[in-house]
This record gives sequence, structure tokens and C-alpha cells, in this order.
Amino acid sequence: MFATLLGIFGEASTLHYALETFLIAAVTFLYFRRREVKDSRVKLTEKQKDELIAEWKPEPLVPDTPQDHPVLNPRFIDGKMTKYVKIEGKEYLNMVTSNFLGFVGEQRIEDVAKKTIFKYGVGSCGPRGFYGTVDVHLDLEKELAQFFGCEEAVLYSYGFATIASAIPAYAKRGDVIFVDKGVNFAIQKGLQASRARVEWFEHNDMEDLERLLELQAEKDKRDSVKAGKTRRFMVVEGIYANSGEICPLQKLMEFKWQHKVRIFIDESYSFGVLGKTGRGKL
Amino acid sequence: MSRRVNPICIDDFMNRQLTERTDILECAWHKRQQEDGGHSEDEETKHRDGHARGDLEEEEYLAPPAPRVKTFSIGDDWKTRERSPNEFEHISRWRALTVYLSWVTLIMFAYVREFLRNWGLETSHIKIELGKQKHFVPLFNDFEAVYQRNCYVRVRDVFERPIGSTPGAKVSLLDRYTEDGGWTFKFPGTQTEVINVGSYNYLGFAQNKGPCADAASTKINDEGLATCSTVHENGRSISQARLEALVAKFLGVNDAICFSMGFATNSMNAPCLVDKHSLIISDQYNHASLILGCRLSGASTKVFKHNDMKSLEKILRDAIAYGNPKTYRPYKKILIIVEGIYSMEGSISNLPGIIELKKKYGAYLYLDEAHSIGAMGRSGRGVVEYWGCDPNDVDILMGTFTKSFGSAGGYIAGSKKVIDHLRVASPTGYYSSPMSPPIAEQIYKSMSIIMGFDGTNDGEARIERLARNSRYFRLRLKQLGYIVYGSNDSPVVPVLIYYPTMCGFYGRQMLARGIGVVVVSFPATDMTEARVRFCVSAAHTKEQLDTVLNAMKEVGRETWCSSFSSHKQLYEKMKIEW
Repeated sequence: MFATLLGIFGEASTLHYALETFLIAAVTFLYFRRREVKDSRVKLTEKQKDELIAEWKPEPLVPDTPQDHPVLNPRFIDGKMTKYVKIEGKEYLNMVTSNFLGFVGEQRIEDVAKKTIFKYGVGSCGPRGFYGTVDVHLDLEKELAQFFGCEEAVLYSYGFATIASAIPAYAKRGDVIFVDKGVNFAIQKGLQASRARVEWFEHNDMEDLERLLELQAEKDKRDSVKAGKTRRFMVVEGIYANSGEICPLQKLMEFKWQHKVRIFIDESYSFGVLGKTGRGKL
Repeated sequence: MSRRVNPICIDDFMNRQLTERTDILECAWHKRQQEDGGHSEDEETKHRDGHARGDLEEEEYLAPPAPRVKTFSIGDDWKTRERSPNEFEHISRWRALTVYLSWVTLIMFAYVREFLRNWGLETSHIKIELGKQKHFVPLFNDFEAVYQRNCYVRVRDVFERPIGSTPGAKVSLLDRYTEDGGWTFKFPGTQTEVINVGSYNYLGFAQNKGPCADAASTKINDEGLATCSTVHENGRSISQARLEALVAKFLGVNDAICFSMGFATNSMNAPCLVDKHSLIISDQYNHASLILGCRLSGASTKVFKHNDMKSLEKILRDAIAYGNPKTYRPYKKILIIVEGIYSMEGSISNLPGIIELKKKYGAYLYLDEAHSIGAMGRSGRGVVEYWGCDPNDVDILMGTFTKSFGSAGGYIAGSKKVIDHLRVASPTGYYSSPMSPPIAEQIYKSMSIIMGFDGTNDGEARIERLARNSRYFRLRLKQLGYIVYGSNDSPVVPVLIYYPTMCGFYGRQMLARGIGVVVVSFPATDMTEARVRFCVSAAHTKEQLDTVLNAMKEVGRETWCSSFSSHKQLYEKMKIEW
């Protein structure tokens, strides 16, 4: 056995060995090589750079803000934001807050909250992955999923970040998202973060959406390989935060099945408000 | 020159490390020392102790970050203790190659299993799409999904461990077991108490009793749980306004603004400060929220090598000299974004150096103190105080309340002009809800304790405990032979285990010994640098830390992770006192 092996080594030509050695050397070189990025721009000398640096005048970090801006001179509300609020000692009817179901100030909820503080403390001191998931989170997720009749639910700690990070979690570069022109700011940020192609349709205009979907279908016909990789999404709101209008969900669901488009619904305003049992537009 | 004569041979090594890894300013300090023979130790101690500002200031921020390793015993007077440099000990390229081999094996097996599952040779637990949706383009089809399904799921039990109590020095983990290899978990309903070295509870304010919890609970009676409105629509509560004033006072700046989520503080406010005509220079290891902020702002982004002032200066010079390569126009402004303590590296940013460069080149500085606020500095005012810098030199001081204050949310502090602009321009003001009053109250109370307003020295004692704990813990780990990244002063302690496959092992073995640790690997770190991360807390007792160290010793013996460091002998004979 050993002799045969030796024999094989003997038979191989010198050229063969040279080639092998060269290949090994090349691999080693490539592995250990420090990658240097070549700069193709015109080279300036350090002195020229110094001159340019001395000339450069940066703009101020922020522009001046007019001091009479209402945001800078807020009026504070004393106490809880219930049906009536007290501003500077005077009582007003509260039409500002989105406390639709009037849960603010509900004794039962506050008692539970206090009990929770005395059991778990206030902060979780860690992200979900690292000892920040508390058992109450899991319970709430389970209940939410049951309430909506979904398989699972996930909690975020900040309403604004929820949709803004859910969109880029699914929609990646190369995907396409059909979005209503009237969506709220958080959704717009999510779209921006996702790097997917965004197709805007007129607010609540189903014909416009259909037109865009058909355009996409034509594109798909032309390039079926790409079509098999392009995930499609629609993003709408249950009740639009900006206009208060309700989305035509039935029509959207039709489109969903017809064009195989997944749908995101932001129900920030409609959850607990619409539907017989408060399950929003669903 | 007497200060540079060092009884331990480590000095030489440190000097080399310093020139390699740190920066011009530290080297500048060296030169300065050599030139003027150095001012006396006493003088310097005085500066730092008395928080002298004004004409002493320059001296102060040029204060020596250099190899202040005169003594490694922490038993000395804690207050005159030296600052330690960041250390990044590297393993040989051959070792790194074996780590890559371990990855290759892992991925190969992943694809084999994927193949077996596709052909129905292995029972598949993969969550599949609803039958009626199966003709849709699949949601996940890339490499990431294969990695998730075959690599992450197998060690899923060491991540996302749910807890059932306060994340203090000890924490109760919900017991769970899996019957299908990590796809689903079952909860028998019991709990196990473990030592918690995973939570960011630096000052031990994660408590379910005591003044903070009481204050938060009382606040619910006064202001309720939520305002149900955005900040601009009358939603900014009195408790939040009160908190903002306190934060500004705590940090020693003009004004501050608070937000209800730390992550969004970064990602939503960076875009208010820079636009597409600006440049962001960001540290290599900046947190995801900052990176998202950079992306959303539309500004050009350049990355400099971690904490490397030479790299930063080169980028600054080139950026100003060459301008924006896309438009051939000069940048309108340049924003340097760095963190105080890097959460995965445990290193402390070289603030004096960065401030120096920022002033020299007219750039602006955004400092994210998410991990350092409360945890660093003699009175908990973060790395700014740690380095003896002037907070007004940092244009934007950002931080979170999730860590040291045991609450939630974040702040941005700085000059009144900057904060006024953010109040008006920040999208979070228009579109998101303000802090919940009890959460704001928890921060208010814990910050008052740190500042000593409660009339006790509780805050000071916590900060001192934390400093002692971190130093003790780090040095002991090094003595065991582990490679520990970062500065000895930092409470974030990443212990390198390199092999991704070791993550599961460490997580489980430590849990079996009654310790909850955080293990991280790719994509949170470099591919070759899987690590166990400890977060030391003021709530830990020395005994608890010793238990953790003993466990690390045992597990280290079973693996070979505690033999990576080639500097073990330097620490071997060192007497480490708490």
C-alpha cells in the first residue's frame, strides 16, 4: 500500500510538482495578503490638503429655531389624561388623546401595573435575546395571537418602531412594496430602511393599485426567473392616522390572492376601535 | 519619568499595544511626558479629584490614557486609580483558519440537513406557509434562513431565555425544554434562580422594591400609565419635563430631550442632524441603531477602524480635501458618531483624541453613551467624566435609560440650540408617544440617587462597587487565561471563545452551574470572534463573581478556550484584590 503511494509520487512529473507548489503558494499568498484599496482620484499632497482644510467652513450643526415655536412653549396637563384634563388649573374637555376606549385612569389596570412593578421592577435591562423576555411578554403574545386568530404574535417596546422595523425585516433589496400614498410617517421610515422598490398608489384608490399590480404582472411575464424571487407586499393602514379614512380591505384581500401579494396592515388606530369585538379591520 | 518605570514586564507589551491600537493623542501625550518630564502625580490626582475646569482643562483631557498599569491590584485607593488602555489580543492566523473550518463544517452540515429535509428523509419542524399561500414567493429563501434553521435553532436554548423575576444580581429563568431540537419549547411552569451576568443592570437599579419602585408606583396614581397622545399634542407630561431638566443638570449641559425608546433615539434623530450633503464618520463597531440612523439620514457614511485615531484623521482629512465624490462639492458638515463603551467589544472610546480631532477639523461629535452613562466616571456621568473632558465639547450626548437606570427610553443632551432644533424637528415628537410617567419617574429617582440628592451615599457606593467589580472580574478572567477584550475599567466583559460551536456549549454549561450568561456569535460579531459576554453589576457580590469565575475555570478546562491568551504568565503571579 505504502509502496504504491510512493510509486505514484515517483511517477508524477516535475512540472506537476511545480504547478502544485505554485498553486499552494498562490492560495497562501491570497489568504495572507493585506487587501489594499486603490484610490483612483487625483492625489493631493498633504500641504494642499492642509490648505483645503483651512479653507473649509462647516455649516452649523443645526439651524436656529424660532423661540416662539409652540413646541418650545408647551402647556402641561396636570394629572391623568382622562375625559377632562386640567391645564393650568382650568378644566377642559379632552378631545386630543387617542384614548378611544377610555382605559386611562382605570383602577384595575393601574393596580396590575403597580403589582408588576413590585414583582419585576420597571426596566428589563436587556434586549429580548439576552434575558429581556419576561414571562408576561410571552403570555401577552399568546393572548394577542389568540385574540386575532393568528399563529403567533410578537411584541415591540415602541409603537413607532414596530412597523418601521417589521417592513425591512421581510422586504429586502429587490423586492417590491405597493404603498398607499397616505400612510403614516413610521411606515415611510420603514420603507426607507427596507431598500425595496416602492410603488406608490393614490390614497385608497383601488384602480390605481390594480394598474400598478398589472404593470408588475407584465414585468413578471417577461422575466419569470426574477419574478420567482421578487417578494411583493402591500402596506396599508386600518384607519389612516393622517386622514382618518378606512382602507377598503375586502378589495385589497382580493388583490392579495389574485396577485399573490402579502399584506401589512397598520392597525394602530383601528385596533380596539373597529369591529364588533375590537379586532380591527379583520 | 518615574511613572513609566514599571515593576511588571507587561509595560513593554502594553506600549506596543498602545501604539498599534490606540491613537495619536495618546502618543502625543507620551511625547509631552518625555519633553517636560511630566507633572507630578499629585497634581494630576488633584485635577481629577477636584474636577478642575478652565485653564487646567487642556492638561486634563490630555491626561494620560497611556499604559497606566503601574499596579494591577485594585486594593489600592480606588479613587486615584489609573485608566487602563483597551486591549485586543489577537490569535494567530492559523487559529483563525481553524475557526473558519468550524464554520465550513457547520454550514456543510446545514446544507446536508436541508437536503435531507427537502427529500423527506428527516422530519421537518420548519414552520411552513399556510396551504393556501404556498404559491406566494417564499418569505425566506436565502442563506440567512438556512443559517437560522440549521445553526441558530440548534443552540436556540441559550438565547432568548425568558425570565420570571427582576433581572437583578440573580434572576429566575423559566424552565423550558424542547422535544424537537429547538423548534418549540414547552414550559413546565417551574423556575430556576441563577446568577445574572447577562443583563445591563450596571448600577443595580433593576429592583422591585426600594425608593425607585415606590416612586414609580406612586406616579401611576398621579399621572396614570400613559398619555395616549404624541409629544406635540399635549402629550409631554410634567414628569418627562422634570426628567429632562434633571438629565441636563446631571450631564452638565444646557438642555436635554427624552424619548421613550433608546433604539429610536438614535435611529430617528440622526436624520434630523445631517442630510445628503453631509458626511457621517462612524466607528466600525457602532450599534445597529446608529447604523440605521445613518442609513435613514441619507448622508454619505464612512467607517473608521475601531477606536483608531489615525484612521479617523485620515478619513477626516480626505473628506474635507476631496469633498463628496458623488457631487464633487465639499461636504456641508461632518458628524463623527462614536459610542462611549462598545457593547460587544467592552472597549472605551478615546474621547480626548476624538475631541481633539473634531476641534482641529471642525467636525461635530455624536457620542452614544448607551452603556457608559451611569457606569463610568467617578460620579456616573459617563465616559466624558471618565476622561475628564468637558461635556460641552461633545455636540450631542446621547444615552439610554435601559441600562444603568433600570428603566426604558433614551435621551439626547447638548446645547440649547441643538435640543430646541430636535424638539421641533424630531419626527418622534409628532408621531410617537412620550415616556410613560412611571418609567420617567424610575429614571428620575435613580438619577437623583446617583447624584446623591436623596441624602445618602448610595449612588456613590454603587458606582464604586461597579468599578471594583469590573476590574476584579476582568483581571481574574485574564488570570484564568482567557482573552478578554476592552479596557479593564469597563463593566462590559467580552470573553473570546472564537468557535461558533462553543456558544451553545458555554451557554449550557454555565447554566448547569447556575449562571446565566450571554453568548454571541455571527452576525452580531465578526465570524471568527464568537464570545461570551458578561455585564458586571454593582449588585453582584464578590462571592457571586467568584462563583462565576470558578465556573469559567471549570468550563475552560473542558474546552481549550482558557489557553488562548499568550499573556497568561503576566497575570499569573498578580495579586488581585477586590
